[in-house]
Parts: sequence; structure tokens; C-alpha cells
Amino acid sequence: MAHKSDPKRPAEIYEPYEEQAGVPLPVIWIAIALAFWGVLMLYDTGDSVRVSLNDRAEDSEALANVTPDEGASLFEANCATCHQPDGEGLRDAVPPLAGSEVVAAGPGIIARILLRGIDGPLTVADATYDGHMPSFASALSDAEIARLASYVTTRWANGPDGAASSADDVTDLRGEVADLGSFAGGMELARLIPSLPPQPPMPAPSAAPRDDADVLQLVFAGRDEVWSCASCHGDLGQGDETTPRLAGLPAAYITKQLHDFREGTRVNESMHLVASGLTKGEMTALGTYFATLRVPSNAGAVLSGDLARGEELALQGDWSIGVPACFTCHGASGFGVAPGFPGLAAQHAPYTAAQLANWAGGERHNDPLGLMAEISGALSTQDRRAVADYLATRPPVPAVAATMTRMETDDDQ
Amino acid sequence: MNRYLPLSILALAILAFATLMLVIAPGIQINARPAPEGLRPYTEAEARGREVYVSLGCLYCHSQQPRSGDQAPDGERGWGRPSVAEDYAYDQPHQLGTMRTGPDLLNVSARLPSEGWHLTHLYQPRAIFDWSIMPSYPYLFDHKDTAGPGDVVVALPAAHAPADGVIVASQKALDLTAYLVALDRTYPAPTNGLRDHGYGSSEGPEPTPAEEAR
Amino acid sequence: MPITLGLMLALSFVVSLAALAFLIWAISNRQITVDQGDAETIFADGEQGRIDNQGTEAGDAERRHVFDPVAAGIDAVSARPVIILLGTATVWLVLGSIFGLVASMKLHLPDWLNQSAPLTFGRMRTLHLNLVIYGWLSLSGLASVMWIIPRIFHVPLKSPRLVLIGAVLWNIAVALGGLAIASGWTDGEEWLEIPWQIDMLLAAAGACFIAPLVRTARARDVHHIYVSGWYFLAAILWFPVLFIVANIPGLYSGVEEATVNWWFAHNVLGLWLTPLGVGTAYYLIPKIIGRPIYSYAVSLLGFWGLALFYSQVGIHHLIGGPVPTWVVTLSVVHSVMMFLPVIAVAINQHVTVAQNLWALKESVPLRFISFGALMYTMASFQGSIEALRSVNSITHFTHYTVAHAHLGAYAFVSIVMFGAAYYILPRATGRAFPWPGLLKAHFWLVTIGFAVYFFSLTIGGVLQGLAMLDATRPFSESVELMKPYLEARSIGGSLMTLGHLVFAVNLLGLAFYAPRHTQAPVAAE
Repeated sequence: MAHKSDPKRPAEIYEPYEEQAGVPLPVIWIAIALAFWGVLMLYDTGDSVRVSLNDRAEDSEALANVTPDEGASLFEANCATCHQPDGEGLRDAVPPLAGSEVVAAGPGIIARILLRGIDGPLTVADATYDGHMPSFASALSDAEIARLASYVTTRWANGPDGAASSADDVTDLRGEVADLGSFAGGMELARLIPSLPPQPPMPAPSAAPRDDADVLQLVFAGRDEVWSCASCHGDLGQGDETTPRLAGLPAAYITKQLHDFREGTRVNESMHLVASGLTKGEMTALGTYFATLRVPSNAGAVLSGDLARGEELALQGDWSIGVPACFTCHGASGFGVAPGFPGLAAQHAPYTAAQLANWAGGERHNDPLGLMAEISGALSTQDRRAVADYLATRPPVPAVAATMTRMETDDDQ
Repeated sequence: MNRYLPLSILALAILAFATLMLVIAPGIQINARPAPEGLRPYTEAEARGREVYVSLGCLYCHSQQPRSGDQAPDGERGWGRPSVAEDYAYDQPHQLGTMRTGPDLLNVSARLPSEGWHLTHLYQPRAIFDWSIMPSYPYLFDHKDTAGPGDVVVALPAAHAPADGVIVASQKALDLTAYLVALDRTYPAPTNGLRDHGYGSSEGPEPTPAEEAR
Repeated sequence: MPITLGLMLALSFVVSLAALAFLIWAISNRQITVDQGDAETIFADGEQGRIDNQGTEAGDAERRHVFDPVAAGIDAVSARPVIILLGTATVWLVLGSIFGLVASMKLHLPDWLNQSAPLTFGRMRTLHLNLVIYGWLSLSGLASVMWIIPRIFHVPLKSPRLVLIGAVLWNIAVALGGLAIASGWTDGEEWLEIPWQIDMLLAAAGACFIAPLVRTARARDVHHIYVSGWYFLAAILWFPVLFIVANIPGLYSGVEEATVNWWFAHNVLGLWLTPLGVGTAYYLIPKIIGRPIYSYAVSLLGFWGLALFYSQVGIHHLIGGPVPTWVVTLSVVHSVMMFLPVIAVAINQHVTVAQNLWALKESVPLRFISFGALMYTMASFQGSIEALRSVNSITHFTHYTVAHAHLGAYAFVSIVMFGAAYYILPRATGRAFPWPGLLKAHFWLVTIGFAVYFFSLTIGGVLQGLAMLDATRPFSESVELMKPYLEARSIGGSLMTLGHLVFAVNLLGLAFYAPRHTQAPVAAE
């Protein structure tokens, strides 16, 4: 070969072999160190697994509510905001429980109302209310509804017939009322409770935009260049995961978001495309349409957030980090305050948490007062999950009557 | 190390041991679990669509395995709850994937159930996301002068629509879409579902860089 | 975690540790050792005592390590199969890198070449992977095995015709596999895309390679098996087991299939490509430099450590996924334990090179091989760290992993194979490369190209992973921030592809433009 003349190059006949040398001491030390590390790592993983499994067990317990709270605390958490801690209600707005003929009808009726909600005028204790009570079917377990119904009847029904309701009864009831919507006001309740005073008539259905063929076309069929609303948000505006629930959000809020999507002041590529094809009138009509939809909640706590922390943030806020209670602005029970503050109750936890993260990161910045960036920025990842999960477990926003929505949107313009 | 036979036997024995630990033992453990109640087998169209998904290599950019909140914010992105082994009972070949050049798809239908959206997005992802680097799949669609009866017309913004005529979905596109809108495993996980629980920590997840900066 | 499975995990780790402890004890107590008698049996009859006076610096001990394979007529038998294996491997390399480059460009030019399904990213990428793994790396690795095994065993390759048949079958199978993938017919799992029907042909071809090697090993004329031989002999047994078990159709489904998938895919690297590369480096580094390997004891530690630990690391590809915690943990622990065999190999190989840096200037093949060996150390260290849960949370699902895969499969195995080809082919053909400058051009093109490739994807991948972990940043940010890094990757990939074209030109030059050697011709058949 050419290199044979090179004194440094070996000849082809050199045969590779290994010399005799022991394993260097550092290698042995490294081996021992790695072995120790391995044992530590196994131990540490065992710890993590215990924590994870506990968390998961807690999550599934929260879902199954193996140990429901006492009636009193359930009442305080779910009912007292509207019906007041003493059950006296709010004059002209929320009917009282104390002295109510409905409550006197017994726990079975209360359980039915909790499961179905009431949507229509109702006369109790000599006063008439334009009733919109949400369904708690998705928010409370059978055992919780049974306890709450028993608690309410025992505390406010006059007489000894505050018989207890059992979880099994509620399970049966749930099946029975599954396909029924809300009670159509006192009229329908009166059929179950003969002792009710005369009830006001249900108002004739107004010319809601649900009958508007153009809007229905947009919602269910879409246009040549865009998809229908229902194809993502569901036939009833229920949404899922990061696609928001629209049913019952303030009409003006929905209209503004559509506008912002088109202008790019709120970023969502798919919605930008949809909103770009809509006229101003169509945006308004769609806002009204979704505001009047009513659909049971399909949201749940899916982010493994700490529900107690979420409740604290929603009801009291956390002033140590400068966060006010969500419900201060977003209304009692998180039902929203038209026109600017959307309802949060029964909103999907991934959507709420993602929006909070977007406010915090500056991706979303279209709120009128710039409050959300500051609030979201103060929340930790865990806090955002906790509050999103808590809100998802709340009963849904009772839809606003179409007539009211019309007025509210007209005011807005 | 001078003998061939002992070397071979020991080398194969070590591999057999590894196979026992990585293939046989987890296989027995996983196969002992029943499919969750909320999970249903694929319909015929969905199964055909899954074949299209496999043959186009969607797997190389899209995982199908949401992580737990202790590890990553997959939940906030709408990718669904952390998946468990039981969720894949009807998957063959598995498509768990190891890349997230695009988002996780195990629950894509929960956040994007719209067939029309998927058709537009498959025809031209940049019709929706101008930043997308996903391939377009024009060969899954036909360009026709007018849509015939039963044709599914793809909704397209003006900038991406053909100058004349319409774009209609081929059977393959419809099958693929049927598969995509069947990808929803957000039903409650079996309480003892199998997954990697190595991230539980009593302190919660690591703070994000943004949080640390504060 | 049920107690039984926790126990299995602990048991497996204890078994590995016990085996390791036993190995170290046995080595230090000379339970497994090579004595002087072994060393002497390395020589062929009549070779002993022959003094090589060609001016090496070899001392007395080394002078006994002489054996002229050319004179023994060994290369003459293996030359033809080796030339055919290397030649066809190079075709797959060129094709595979072109597909890889197209796939890379598609990630930042998504509407380029979008009119036909075979050209889509998902298929281009898959073609790239399968052609370079089963076409280029496996065939060139086998060429190296076919060349080195007869030399270290001092017998000509047995049944060379069978190897030729195997080469033909293997190439047909790879071509069919490529066509199947392009047309959308695939088994649908990473690294296992080639349909199982075609896999049977690959298995048959594999048998045609293994039988001659086993026969050669059994007929060996030396008592001691040199370290390269351990790696090669184990690899040709491991790979068929892996390949057949993983490709049994219809047996696995769901997550079980995923564990089989990654048990296979990582073992293809660890128990097939790595032994081919390490074994080749173990032979050619001392061969070219003319100095022995530092320590036999360390060689043992490196080999058995690889077998014990590398075989159980596969499930680190599913960290944080829907697989039982104990399997993941098992793989994480073993991934980190891989530090040990890697350090062992590094000591043996790098020390030899570091003491003889002059040789790097002299020999282009050595430059390739020692660079490759260095990258083996880097890739393994990186892999061990990447398997840690905290690091993995960031890098998993990102292009960081792609960079790491190329550090192992390309910068290590592939570059070692370039060096091996440059060393083997002149000896197999009896010709010299006509344009030596192009060998250096090849080296600098692929190393610079790879550096651009690796650093862009590594940095981009970490940024991508951090963006995905931060809920306050939309997913689009992780896509957009990658774009410049993906473009840089295409530039690096272009340089590497250009390097491969230069490699092919070098081989063509050797075939058609090279004068025959005047000295030391290969013994004629």
C-alpha cells in the first residue's frame, strides 16, 4: 500500500487486541453511585405514585360524592346566595322558602325542582315571581339532592311531615324527569301540588329569534365559506373542552366577542373565519339566539383542580394575591351580568382555564376594563385549574327570556 | 470470553429477560383490564378512516396520549384528561405517537366535533391557521363544476376557494373525518386505570417560567 | 401500584445490579480472563514469530499480534459480498437522505409537492427512516461484520454465496418495503412500518446472513474471541429475535402494542446498530493506529453492561403516557445505568485515539471512525439524561428527540460506517480512491452539516418544549418559534446529503476510475 513507506503507519498485519488492565477505580465508584441513585429513584417514584393515586382517588370521590356534605352546608353553598341564608328570598326577585306552599309539599317536590329547575312565573306566599331557577342535576349527586331536599323541608315546611328523602328515591326521580325540561312556571307545579294558590299564566312564546330562518340557517347549516355554529358548539350551544358553552351567555357579550374575533382583538383563527362572514345584524341575532338557549350542564371538574380552593376564589377571592371574588363581577352563582360579564357557571373547565391562561399570557386582552389580565396573572396554574373546575361543577345559567334579551341588546346599541 | 455457545446463550437470556419485563409482564397486566364502558369500537367508516390516518402518517406529528396535569398543561389545551391504557382497547395498530409538531388528537372531537371544520382543515390547513405547517391534502378532494347529489362541499374562504366550481370531499376524506370526529375519550376514566403516575408531587407542578419571573 | 408489580420492578433492577456486581467481581478476580496462551492462539499456524519489520512502533508484546489476512487469503473470499453490500447500502443512503431532505423542507414549506399522497410528509419521513435503517445502516453494518469477522477469526468467510443471495433478497425486500410505504401500505408503527408480509422476506434474507457468520465463528482458527466479535455475534442473534417478535401480526393491540413497539425500536438502536458501530470501531481504531485497546476488563464491562441495561430502556419513549408506572420507571433507571457501559467503551476507544492523535491527520477513515465513536459517547450520555423525568417533560414530543436520534444513528453509526467503507473498500478491491481530496470533503460536509442540524433542532426543541409546557402561551407559539430552526435543519440536511453524494462519487470513482494498486494487491481468487 501507498502508506507502507510511511514509518508511522502500521502494516496490515497488525492484529488488534486488548491489553491487560483492571477496571479503573473511578469506574467502580461510578457504578456504585449509579446503583445508589437507582434505588433512590425507585423510592422517589414510589412516593410520586402514592401522591398521584391519592389525588385520583380524591377526584373520583369528588365525582361520586361518597360522603356528601351535611344539608346545611349544601344549602349554604348552593342556595343561600339567592334564597338567602334565612330562606326569606329577595323581594320581587327570588321566592322565599319559609312559608312557601311549594316547600310544604314535601321533599319529593323539592328534589324534582332541584333536578329540573323552574322557568316561568310562580306565585308563592302571596307574591308573584318571574321564576328562573337553574337545574342542579349536573351539579349535585343523588345523595346530595336527597339531603338538601330533606334539609329544606325539615327547616322551612310547617308541620312534622319533613320526611327524609333517600338517595335511591332521587335516582329513580332522575330517570323519571330525565327528558323533561324545566318546570313551566307555577302552572306546571300546580298540577303536582294541588294546594298551591292560583298561578299566573305562562306568557305566550314571544317571537324569539329561534324562529328566524336566517339565524337557524347559520346555526345549523353554515354558509358556503364557513361551518355552522352547532357543528362545534353543539345543537344547544353546550360546547365541550375548549369549545365554550354559549347557552345562556349575555347576548351583548356574544355579539361583542364575534365582533372582536372579526377585528382580531380576540384571537381565535377558526372564529375569525366564521365572524368575518357575518353582518352586524347577524352577530346580534346570534347573540340573542344563544342567550335564550337553555341546556343542562355537560361540564365537570376534569382538571384535577382543588375544588375547595376554587370555591374560595369564586366566592371570596384571595386578597393576599389581590384577586377579587369571581362572583363580585360575574354575578351571584356566576350566572353573569349583562351586558359585559359572561356567565361562568357550568362553563367547561378546560375553556375557563385556557382563557385565564390566555389573559395571563396576554394572548387575550379584549375585556373593557383590562381587569382580567391582572387577575389571571396573579393566579397560579393550580389556582386557574381549581377555579375552572369549581365553576364547571356549578349549575348552568338559567336562560334569559327572549324579550329581555332583546331589550338588553337594544340598549347596548 | 473465548467460547461462542455460552456467549450466545447468555446474550439471548438477557434479551429474554428484557422481553419478559417490557413486553410480557406489561402485556399481561394491560390485557387483564376490560375496555371502559364509555368506549365503543370503531364503526366501519371510522375504521376505514383510521386506515387513512395510518397510511398518511399523521402519527409522525400528532400524539394520542394526553399527559396529566402534574406534568403538562394538556388539559388547558383541550386535549382531554390523562389517558389510561384501557382507552386504547380497540386500537390496532396503536397510534400513541411521540411528536407534537401538531396538537394531541386523542380527544380532538371533544373540542372540534365539526366535520365541516375538519374537511376545510384537511383540504388546506392554512385556510384557517396561517401559521400552520401541516401538509395540505388536496388529493383527498375533487374539484367539480357543480356539486352532485350527495356530494359534501367543503366550506372554503374566498382566498383558498377555486376560481370556479366547488371542492367536494372524496370518500377517503369523509372516512378520515369520520375517524377524527370519533376521537373523543373524555368519558370518566376507570378509577384504577393504568398510566404513568410518576409525576405526583405534593407541591403541585413546577411553576412556569412566567410564574417564576413574578 | 400493586405489590406484585412493584416487586417485579425492584426484582429486575436488583437482577441487573447483581449481574453487574458479579461481573465486576469476576473481572477483578480474573474469573473471566484471557491468559497468555489465549493471546498466542490468535495467530494462524506459521504466523507466529514472523517479525513485521515494516517500521511500526510495536514492542515485543505487539509483535506477536501479527496476522496478514491478505496473505491468508481471507479478504479474497469476503471481498465480493462486502463490495455488493456496501454498494447497495450506498444507493439506499442517497435515496434515503433525499427523502429525508424533502421531508425536512416540507416542515417549513408545507405546500411544496403537495399534489400526491406518496409525497406527503408522513410518507417521505417514513421512507427516509426505513431506507436509512434497513437499507443503509443495516447493510453497511453487515458489510463491516462480513469483513471483520473472518479477519478476527482467521478463517475465510463460510458460504459467501449465501451472503450474496441474502444481499439480493434483503435489497428486494427494502425496495418492496419502500414501495409499500410510498403507496400507503404500512403496519403503522414507528420503525415497524414495512408490512409484515415483506418482513418475512427480510427475515429470510437475514437468515442468509446469519448462517455464514455462525459457521465462520464455529470454524474459527483462534481460541480467543476479540471484543468486536462479541458485539457482532450477539447482535446477529439479538436482531432476528427482536425483529420477529415485534412483527408477529395481530398478536398485540393498544398500549401493549406500544410497549412492544418501543421495546423493538429502541433495541434496534441498542442491540443492533450500536453493536455494529461499536464492534467496527473496536476493530478499526486499534487496527489503523497500530496500538492495542486499553483494557480487556473494561471491554467486558462495556459489553455486558450494554446487554444488561440497554435491553430494558425502550419504554422511556412512553414516559408520562398510558403505561404502568413500573415499566416506565424500569426503563428510566436502566437508561441512566447506561452511563456505565458507555464510560467503559469510551475509556477503551478514546484513550487509544487520544494517545495517538497524529493518526487522525494521517488517516481519513480513522477520522470518521473516532468522530463516530466520540458521538456514541455523546449520544448515550444525552440519552441517559433525556430519560430523566424532569428533562423528559420538556424534550418529549419535540424536535429535540429528532436531534438525539440523529446523534446516535447518524453521527455515531453512520459516520463509523463511512470510515469503515473507506478503510475496507481499497483493500477489498485492491484499488485506491482516485480523488483523496473528496474523502476529506465528505468528512467536512457531513460533520458541519450535522452540527448545523443537531444544534438547530436541539435548541429549537428545548424552546418548543418550554412553550408547550406553559399554558399561558398558545400552541401556535410552539409551532411558529420552531420555523427558523426547521429551516436551519434543512440547510444542515442539505450539506449532509451533498456529503452522501460525494461519498457515492468516491465509490463510483473507485469502481471506474481507480488504478489498481501496484503494491499489496488483494490475493486473486
